[in-house]
Amino acid sequence: MEERVIQDFVHRVSTDEVLRKELVSDPDSVIMREGFSPRVARVVSRLAPHLTLDEPGKSDSWWYF
Amino acid sequence: MSDDAQKPVNPFAAWQQLLRERLYLLISNLHPMLRADVERAFQERGKLLFDPPDNSASDVSRPAGSWPLLTLLIAQHISPDIDTTFAASVAIATECFVCALDLLDDVEDEDQTLIISEIGRARALNISTTLLALAQQAILSSAQQGIDTKYILRLLDILQQSTLVATGGQHRDLLAEQRAASDLTREECIEIAAAKAGSIIRLACLFGAICANASEAECMELAEMGELLGIAHQLDNDSHDLYYLIQSKNASSGLPAERSVKSDLARGKKTLPIVLAAKSRKPLQEQGEISDEEKQGYLLALNEGIMTTWGISLLYRERAHERLRVISSRRSLAPELRLLLGFE
Repeated sequence: MEERVIQDFVHRVSTDEVLRKELVSDPDSVIMREGFSPRVARVVSRLAPHLTLDEPGKSDSWWYF
Repeated sequence: MSDDAQKPVNPFAAWQQLLRERLYLLISNLHPMLRADVERAFQERGKLLFDPPDNSASDVSRPAGSWPLLTLLIAQHISPDIDTTFAASVAIATECFVCALDLLDDVEDEDQTLIISEIGRARALNISTTLLALAQQAILSSAQQGIDTKYILRLLDILQQSTLVATGGQHRDLLAEQRAASDLTREECIEIAAAKAGSIIRLACLFGAICANASEAECMELAEMGELLGIAHQLDNDSHDLYYLIQSKNASSGLPAERSVKSDLARGKKTLPIVLAAKSRKPLQEQGEISDEEKQGYLLALNEGIMTTWGISLLYRERAHERLRVISSRRSLAPELRLLLGFE
């Protein structure tokens, strides 16, 4: 399940300093090595720079719920 | 240079005007005192009568009346020659439905929004009831325009179904406030987001498709895209709201961050980042005396929950985008519709 894959990856980046540094220096290699589905790979590509900064990117949401 | 020259062009202006005319016609027979409060509800941010404070054209990608615009533009996407009076009436039903649920949400969540502070909870509840009736009236009024009753019945059926799904989601959300965050699951949180936010964009898309006589396959694709987009936006809101709450309290309140977060959590809202954080750390309000280290640990868990939630929102956005590619492969989307959907 893709949700679970993302959850597990974020947890690993949060707790594994080596992976975190690698994600900063060479995110493409990390994404390729992890063997993500194309859809999850696109998500992680967008997520990666923000994971290392510990802050989400700009909100895409403008619908007022 | 004049002020006008500096304002961005509003690509939705003509549609907004059409929708406002239909709205004013629909509420014209209400008692003036009731009509005044109904109009006030439509002046909330994002609603059709919203007027940006600086009198600018506001952000063109966030137009006033985005919900009815979505219904109207999807109808025109499916059937460019559609009777715009009919499509606009159905779009106004969308606006009334969303506005009614928003007011109920404010009251049920005990949010002190501007409109609640102005008109109070009792009048807000009455306006919500009025708006739900107006949503049906907007659809029924199409019979006077010679619209086949089969469309009217189908639209009313969708309206009823969506109301039941959205209220079901809201009920689960309210009951979740009484449960420990660690008892909830990621799946439950996403199901609630689908029922609450997903059902609303689903309805807006489906209304447009049905009134344009779209095929069943097109109706399904648009409905699914709407639901996925609704989930994506809800999770995006949940992650950013909590992130900014923590940041703002850290930066300006002078209170320790963990104390500020605790006061918000005391309301009992179980959004996905909070539920995910509770899987690894007991929430602050469920703990007694705790050390600074434990507080710091909970904040780190919250941050991981925020990032995971944002990642999952991006996943749903990707899924919605995939549906949109299928939809636009049949006929290209108008730039305004792409802009409205956030895929420009």
